[in-house]
Amino acid sequence: MNYVIIGASAAGLATAEEIRRTDKNGAITILTREDYLPYSRPSISYFLKGKVNQADMFLRKNNYYSQNKIDIVTGADVKEIDVKKKTVKAGRKLYSYDKLCLATGSKPFVPPMKNVEGKANALTFLDLASTKAVKDMANKDTRAVVIGGGLIGMKAAEGLSKICKSVDVIELAPRILPSILDAKSEKGVRQHCANKGGLKFHLEDTVVEAKSKGKNITSVVLKSGKELKCDLLILAVGVRPETELAEKAGLEVNRGIITNPATMQTSNEDIYAAGDCTVSVDMLDGSKKIIALWPNAVKQGTVAGSQMAGGSEAIDGTYSVNAIDFYGLRICTCGLINAQGEQYSDKIVACGDQYKRLIFEGEKLVGYVLINSSDNAGIYTYLIANRIDLSTLEGDIMATPDLFLFSKEIRTEKLTGGVTV
Amino acid sequence: MKKVISREKLCVNCHLCEVYCKTAHSESKDIIKAHKLENPAPVSRVTVIGGRMASVAVNCRHCDDPACVNACITGAMTKDKKTGIVSVNENKCIGCMTCLAVCPNGCIKTGNTAIKCDLCQGEDMPACVKNCPNRALVYVEVGGND
Repeated sequence: MNYVIIGASAAGLATAEEIRRTDKNGAITILTREDYLPYSRPSISYFLKGKVNQADMFLRKNNYYSQNKIDIVTGADVKEIDVKKKTVKAGRKLYSYDKLCLATGSKPFVPPMKNVEGKANALTFLDLASTKAVKDMANKDTRAVVIGGGLIGMKAAEGLSKICKSVDVIELAPRILPSILDAKSEKGVRQHCANKGGLKFHLEDTVVEAKSKGKNITSVVLKSGKELKCDLLILAVGVRPETELAEKAGLEVNRGIITNPATMQTSNEDIYAAGDCTVSVDMLDGSKKIIALWPNAVKQGTVAGSQMAGGSEAIDGTYSVNAIDFYGLRICTCGLINAQGEQYSDKIVACGDQYKRLIFEGEKLVGYVLINSSDNAGIYTYLIANRIDLSTLEGDIMATPDLFLFSKEIRTEKLTGGVTV
Repeated sequence: MKKVISREKLCVNCHLCEVYCKTAHSESKDIIKAHKLENPAPVSRVTVIGGRMASVAVNCRHCDDPACVNACITGAMTKDKKTGIVSVNENKCIGCMTCLAVCPNGCIKTGNTAIKCDLCQGEDMPACVKNCPNRALVYVEVGGND
């Protein structure tokens, strides 16, 4: 069997590893257009601020791939899939496949702005190459402007604030980090970032035009009329699923690549897809959405790999879970944090810089936002993922969760795995 | 692999496992220095939950298919193929705490990086087991390695 995987991040690597677990002999080829072996994309902001070295960003040891007979081709930019001949083309090389997985991830979305495109100091922040470009350009005199107050923009801003003279963050929405924070908790986080990192926020605003000198932007003009001096412009408005190859190959695409939600098979039976390029079905409300988060990508990759190799792993329920920190403030969120509707209720405990909000649907937990109060958060995640009826639990759900929420029988099973001593 | 098994009916809620775990994972390996002087303060990886009526010590189960390893966004959390021990590479860990957000038993602690039980790597018996006065903690072969 020839397995080909396009993309070498969370989903692509998980796919390859699961194929190898199931099929010891098949040929596995991962094609990546990047120049690096699989590395941690989320680490780029830590690389920018100097907290991790490049060598520590790689997801596996260098010899791991040869040991597991996984062939990784770097610098391989796939331009075409021929679904009839079952080949993919990267440069002049053709790779034939029996089973193919698209783990192409996301691409930055850059809205049209006058005089920005092609400027030397207007950069995206998504991968190691772009981060190196940012790092080369940023210094103690740099006045940086970040467009976008989502996860990528805010992580870029945090990293840059350790290096640059000033960092301005411009966000079209009335709040930052909408994918992980609810409206109630956002303000405190924003204030923390302003106080600790000196970030300046411009909400409900956008860049309409850049002023430049030669190849470099010198300032940006906002919709509100403000003009900000700018030596480095980071374009982090958002990302979109990278679906170009899938569309050209005639696969079903609607924002992201459409797959069988259980098997990750696309509309072509020999092609699977996993990770940020796909449309997920959220088990908590049945909605179709792009869940561009690492644990989801790994889970989908594992299932795609298993199915490609004839195994039977299947998606047993998808939900969002994310943990991140900004200037020491720990944010942990899961599930339906922006749930709207009469069926939902919530409870909040807030004290100082701690905030805990649990979201319920009847007797079930369907989401949480935890700020500096994430101890044992995984127990909440377990309750959400397993749709546990909260009326069967003991104790106060708003207290730090522990195994005493469960009956003695369940607790003992969890702690001993059924081993009797 | 060998795992620490915690027996609720024998736990007396003394928290000595925490004291010795913290000490074993300190710089000085000295109870008093570990608890009073060291900075950053060492962290116990085992936690006694419950109260006087019923209590039990919880530490990492070193799961066969660990949620923390699957969710780790940097490759810092790994399960050793030979020993089965799940551990954190502190150079790679960025302290995002995604592992904590997915551990179903509440076994990851927060520090500059994720902190968790490493079964006192290299020791014949983990410090928590060695110092449990009522043998509520035992270290036994449970199979299921990798």
